Amino acid sequence: MFYSIRHVTRFRYSSPVRESVMELRMQPRSEGPQSLRSFQIVTNPRAQLYAYTDYLGNAVYHFNVLREHEELRIEAQAVVEIVAMPPLPGGADPLEWSRYNSYNLSDDQFDLLEPSLFASMTPELAAFIVAHDLAKPKDDPLAALRRLNTTLHQAFEYTPGVTDAQSPIDVALKQKRGVCQDFAHIMIAIARSWGIPARYASGYLYHRGSCQDRSADNATHAWVEAYLPSLGWIGFDPTNNIMAGERHIRAAVGRDYCDVPPTRGTFKGGADSELAISVAVEATHAPVRHEDFLRVARPMSSPRPTPSMPEHLYHQQQQQQQ
Amino acid sequence: MQHEALAHTEDFGGPDQHLPSHPCVPGKDAPYQHYALGAPYDEMFTRGGAVHPHYAALDGRLTTLPADELLRRQQACEQTFLHQGITFTVYSDNQATERIIPTDLLPRIVTGNEWARIEAGLKQRITALNLFLRDIYGDARVLRDGVVPRSMIYGSKHYRREMRDLAVPHGAYVNVCGSDLIRNEQGDFVVLEDNLRVPSGVSYMLANREVVRRAFPAVFRSMSVRAIEHYPNELLNTLRSLAPFHEEASIAVLTPGVFNSAYFEHAFLARQMGVELVEGRDLLVNDNVVYTRTTSGLKRIDVIYRRIDDDFIDPLIFREDSSLGVPGLFNAYRAGNVTLANALGTGVADDKAVYAYVPRLIRYYLSEEPILNNVETFLCREEKSLSHVLANLDKLVVKAVGESGGYGMLVGPHASQKERDEFAQKLKADPDNYIAQPTIQLSTAPTFVDGGVEARHVDLRPFILHGQQTTIVPGALTRVALKRGSLVVNSSQGGGSKDTWVLSE
Repeated sequence: MFYSIRHVTRFRYSSPVRESVMELRMQPRSEGPQSLRSFQIVTNPRAQLYAYTDYLGNAVYHFNVLREHEELRIEAQAVVEIVAMPPLPGGADPLEWSRYNSYNLSDDQFDLLEPSLFASMTPELAAFIVAHDLAKPKDDPLAALRRLNTTLHQAFEYTPGVTDAQSPIDVALKQKRGVCQDFAHIMIAIARSWGIPARYASGYLYHRGSCQDRSADNATHAWVEAYLPSLGWIGFDPTNNIMAGERHIRAAVGRDYCDVPPTRGTFKGGADSELAISVAVEATHAPVRHEDFLRVARPMSSPRPTPSMPEHLYHQQQQQQQ
Repeated sequence: MQHEALAHTEDFGGPDQHLPSHPCVPGKDAPYQHYALGAPYDEMFTRGGAVHPHYAALDGRLTTLPADELLRRQQACEQTFLHQGITFTVYSDNQATERIIPTDLLPRIVTGNEWARIEAGLKQRITALNLFLRDIYGDARVLRDGVVPRSMIYGSKHYRREMRDLAVPHGAYVNVCGSDLIRNEQGDFVVLEDNLRVPSGVSYMLANREVVRRAFPAVFRSMSVRAIEHYPNELLNTLRSLAPFHEEASIAVLTPGVFNSAYFEHAFLARQMGVELVEGRDLLVNDNVVYTRTTSGLKRIDVIYRRIDDDFIDPLIFREDSSLGVPGLFNAYRAGNVTLANALGTGVADDKAVYAYVPRLIRYYLSEEPILNNVETFLCREEKSLSHVLANLDKLVVKAVGESGGYGMLVGPHASQKERDEFAQKLKADPDNYIAQPTIQLSTAPTFVDGGVEARHVDLRPFILHGQQTTIVPGALTRVALKRGSLVVNSSQGGGSKDTWVLSE
């Protein structure tokens, strides 16, 4: 399956600002069933882009704009291929719990057991765990995580505007409402409390007409990945009560939202700013490969063209070059 | 520096010209009539009351000077400090007041042998700590081998994941270190804590020398005290050795600003090194390169001696609300276009819990026995230690792992029952956050108090420079608890300081 993703971000300022500095985490990852076929970023005002790979393997772009500007527009365009994976087993091996040890987990996976800013235990979450019987389960972790995915889907209403990007999970827990980011943080905190390494996945969801997705289709999406020693990282989407699969396009992973915001930036000037975001994910055809597009004009087996100049003259000219 | 205030100080001749016919006994004879010798090791007197040989010259001077002359010299010292504007801000709950750190008139003297051991021990320690930092931000061998618990590193608020797999010049993370040493009852120097973030106090080491050598010129001359005045030059060499390029490096000292408690020191060091003193707003990052704004345009900066905490250094990466930092600085650093000294994320290794593991780290990385020992430390994260600590709160000093400067600690023997009970609750609620140590009797040193010479508790903070090579200027800041019996020497808690004389033999 091929997808084309267009992700436009626009900051508008009430008066001119200067020295904008910005980091972007919006390049789809290329690993497992997902591969990135093309990617480009255009900014307006134009800026020199720099890139690095962070310790989580996310591609990060950054740039700065020194001169005054009243608007900053970032347009990212990607083509991604996702191949279907064999379906997951209904449950994991009953011995799975005993595999959460130093032999099977890497340091990075241990790190994802520690609480992080947005995904940590709070009294509110402890009460939620008691109310919904979500203490560390006895049966296999895959089945338990599936149940947790469904429980969260049922316990919360999807309502944009109740929480914002910086809301702690307690806001959603109190209101029983929120958006994908809140549900992901809650699920991560619970999975970690069970001793399962869990991380936040940020990216895009392709909405097919027939699907009953709650999440908005013109925005970025977030879900959860939990580590099962015998199966690897498995994606859960508590917002839509589905497993993350062929329709989930991963841009970045991290301990929580803090590690993976699509844009993060600062500017100088006392202006108010307005942020507008638009995302379009469309199914597309396989991009034409260069090999197919280019027509070979002269096959390699054809005779060498006759040199227009005798060989010795050619050598002589080379020797004349100082 | 100005020294007018000391213009009246006269030299009363060599120290051996007025030796009294019989020695003055501490606790009995002037000027030592209130000098209490007890369980702690004393720097000047043996337990029997005899003067250690390296203090003989000073003793000779103290016992022969007229009583009011010492007082006059002390006042002259204080005047000099006020004139130079050497001040320090003490933060309390609701106000910050600017004070001078009281400098004691009397030097603390360290013998050549003692110093050799301190120097070797500190070099060993900083080498191991740098290897540890390189490891936990790289392969994390030490965690996989189970030498240090993973949760202690990954759970530390000073562990900077942004530093993972990032190469720092010469593998030197800690470029300026100020370790606090104390002397136990047996007279052995032990390490109390490592300050690996932005240690301060070196300007007092230098300023104290300027003043105190003039208060006792003849004694100073007679003793072959090792020079420390080249510290700023050594610091500059260390910073230069970290430059990303080989051409003449452009260096700046980055200060939080005039309201910072150590602003005097930042300005002092910049001036002494002949480099720019900048605040965050003076710098900007363009196309991944750091520049300072000057009247003649932008000037590239290669090495930044930063005196701003990690959290505040780049609002793009760390605290968004920081107005002290430079947006984009970390990415320029990541790209190798600028060096920050110290590197970021060094605080994970001077955490008071990691401290307890340093002797093991020395054995692990260097296959050597530690030259300088630690103070015995109980990690409250270990259940057995926690119950021991709770049962012995009246005998122990309990410290919060992530705090420094004497904040968030309980000195058991000096606390009331109510304070201890309250602290026990905090301990039980969050044991991982605390360590405990026996109350250590810091050694005492002669200190000028109310016209006489009395014993006061002291520690020792030498400064270690680590770039391409390791350098320790033979000197230190000796901090002194000016209140009788007090063990808290922190300048933020009203301690004072002393000049420290390291002898060549």
